[in-house]
Amino acid sequence: MIENFSGPLRGIRALAFAALALLPLSVQAQDYPSRPLTMFIGYGPGGQTDLVGRGVAKVLSDQLGVPVNVVNKPGSGGALAAYQLQKEQPDGYTMLFQTDNVINIEPFTTKRITFKPEDFEYAGMVTAFQQGLAAPKDAPYDTIKEFVAWAKEHPGAVYGSLSPMTKLYMDEIARKNDLDVNIMPLKSGSEVINVLLGKQVDLVLSGGIHYRYPEEIKTIVATTTFRHEAAPDVQTIDEAGYGLSMDARTTLILPKGTPREILEKLSTALAATETDADFKKITAAADIPIMYMDTDAATEEIRQTYDQNKTIIEGAGVVPN
Amino acid sequence: MDYLISGFGNILNLATLFWIVVGVTLGYVLGAMPGLGKATGVAVSIPLTFYLSPISAIAMLIGIAKGSAAGSAVSAILLNTPGEPSSAPTALDGYPLARQGKAQKAMKMGLFASVIGDFASTLILIGLAAPLASYALLIGPVELCAILLFSLTFIGGLSGNSLTKGMIAGALGVFFATVGIEIETFVPRMTFGLLELDEGISLIPMAIGMLALAEMLIQAGKMKEIDQQVGTMAENYQADDRRVTGLEWRRCLPIIARGSLIGSVVGILPGLGASVGSFLSYGATVRASKTPEKYGKGMIEGVAAAESADNAVVPASLIPLFALGIPGSVIAAILVSALILHGLTPGPLMFKEQPQMVGDLYAALLCASLILLIVGYSGQRLFAKVIRVPIRLIIPVVLFLCCVGAYMETNSLFSIYVMLFFTAIGYLMRKLDYSFITFLIGFVIGPNLEVTFRQSIQILDGRIGRLTQHPIAIVFIALTVATILLIAWIRSPAATPTDRIETRQVGSIQGRKP
Repeated sequence: MIENFSGPLRGIRALAFAALALLPLSVQAQDYPSRPLTMFIGYGPGGQTDLVGRGVAKVLSDQLGVPVNVVNKPGSGGALAAYQLQKEQPDGYTMLFQTDNVINIEPFTTKRITFKPEDFEYAGMVTAFQQGLAAPKDAPYDTIKEFVAWAKEHPGAVYGSLSPMTKLYMDEIARKNDLDVNIMPLKSGSEVINVLLGKQVDLVLSGGIHYRYPEEIKTIVATTTFRHEAAPDVQTIDEAGYGLSMDARTTLILPKGTPREILEKLSTALAATETDADFKKITAAADIPIMYMDTDAATEEIRQTYDQNKTIIEGAGVVPN
Repeated sequence: MDYLISGFGNILNLATLFWIVVGVTLGYVLGAMPGLGKATGVAVSIPLTFYLSPISAIAMLIGIAKGSAAGSAVSAILLNTPGEPSSAPTALDGYPLARQGKAQKAMKMGLFASVIGDFASTLILIGLAAPLASYALLIGPVELCAILLFSLTFIGGLSGNSLTKGMIAGALGVFFATVGIEIETFVPRMTFGLLELDEGISLIPMAIGMLALAEMLIQAGKMKEIDQQVGTMAENYQADDRRVTGLEWRRCLPIIARGSLIGSVVGILPGLGASVGSFLSYGATVRASKTPEKYGKGMIEGVAAAESADNAVVPASLIPLFALGIPGSVIAAILVSALILHGLTPGPLMFKEQPQMVGDLYAALLCASLILLIVGYSGQRLFAKVIRVPIRLIIPVVLFLCCVGAYMETNSLFSIYVMLFFTAIGYLMRKLDYSFITFLIGFVIGPNLEVTFRQSIQILDGRIGRLTQHPIAIVFIALTVATILLIAWIRSPAATPTDRIETRQVGSIQGRKP
């Protein structure tokens, strides 16, 4: 019987099928969310991003009225979780909470990671880490200029480095000022604090946890584009004349093709992090300032920083491995 | 002290005690199941920590840590499948004891040693957290490198029948630990382009495959033999086989004391972990013994040595956390989160700003030790029945649990592949009589040794003369040299070929040089 359809009828049938195929998605977007959400975090439990992510999951759950399940998928600085996210349906039910660095820094330091800003959708950004170069409190320098002068007189000063990105800072500072600095590898964020308290390093890049030790550790320069809430008098590295500022902002990332309506719903729900008392308590205790951006601002931020960071990192001669 | 006493007042209520009991029981049961352990327990409990009061949440997490460290001895003794890598030395003597029909004796000794080690380490934490943590900071990369080098010499004491094979297995362990991104130049080593391997081979799935699954394969090949043994065990029943005798207590107490001390020291030092503690304690006990040849065939002292150190690591690893805010282990890292979630910042300021909170925590830690004794003691009767279950029923259950345990660590199938790969390696090593203990030591210590060695070169600015500024390092380097000379001296004169008397144990190839 179906074979008998021809001409205009066939066209109508095709249209009907097309409409049917479209229907579930728009209905989904209106009803969204009608079942629990899954939020990947690209680190194991217990870190700073995990902590903020779990706080955000709770805020989202309160705002949207469905449970948000947090799933830790550690590996390769969040890249594994991001690759997994690309395989998920763009229906808004699976998302990744990670710093934007997985997209705007890692592709320039790791050859096998090839993300571009347009490979994902961004529902918004929540917090920014207060990254900066830190030193033991009794170190005889308070600014990057004073450190350079001191390091000239003390060849073989020790700088702790955790990743290609952190190594880049000292490589650049040493190159511009012709310094002889030993770069000591570190393997974890907690080791950063360990070597600072034990005075085994003269300078180290910290993700911001060092602000919990105001009596033992001081900040020499902020490596972010903004001055830190916790130390408003300390210059940024751009202000100090190096042009190396890079931020790490926690971002809610979704698969490419997630409907705009869903992104907006999530974006609005994320805005509640600015006012939620529990969430503020968490970020205050961990010294992580809330710097909310909605879906449009976040998308623009990623695009811009992708190009900026590319210039900085390639300019420093970093070759991806 | 006042805060500690009022701390007991604060936690001795039904709600808090309930969560401690839940934590300890969960930890103990998960630990007792091959393949599952701390990691699983933590994954289950993190979401809960959001909804509980800070003290309940933290008490539960601590309970899981303590419970799983003690519970992992159960599967090590009964099935020769350590629940955690740190209980691998427990299986060396625990399993032979179980096969001699002394499972309950071994399990009791394991539990007592665990609780004593745990309690002693908790007391050290309470009394000396602040001063010890600042001393631990003096142990920088240079000192740590020398200590790790010294730890490697314990391979000599744990090699099984052949020192050469032990060293080969150890080197193999170091080899597998080099997989991943190299830390100074960030070049991926032997990752075959797989991003999953960038951060190296994960200890948990590796250990599950190597220790639990491979052992099940071996036992599957000997089902008849094992079932027959169970039959004879039922006939030769003696009351003394079920309890720890006074004589055994006297022999084991000094060993437990040493194990607790070793575990506490290892716990305070950054990044070493429970496995190193129990390996060192077991190795030291074998070395100090007048009859080292009896170890590996059912010496109750071996169980006591491994378990006391294993559990002593847990509270001691909280010392850097409480005193400095630096997490020394995975559980500690989660505790940081739990504290921060409730608006508390761990570290020296906590003692000043929240002394009552610290008092409550200490009280919870002590309570957890006691509850561990009760839960463990009553649980053992139940677990002991496992040994009478036909092995063909046990194997599928263990296989399932192993898969769950490996998967839950990273929530990805890749972990299962890692587990299967190391099952094959573990099977071959058992069949060819290579020690997987020295493999594990190489795997755990190797990467730490590499990092600290690279760090030391930078700190010393490449000049060996600067080593004089690090006296602790010099002491350990001297100890290392002395130990190697000692091993060479003992082994060289008329090196008798190993006569391979088949020991009565099934499945284990851990018979020591007679």
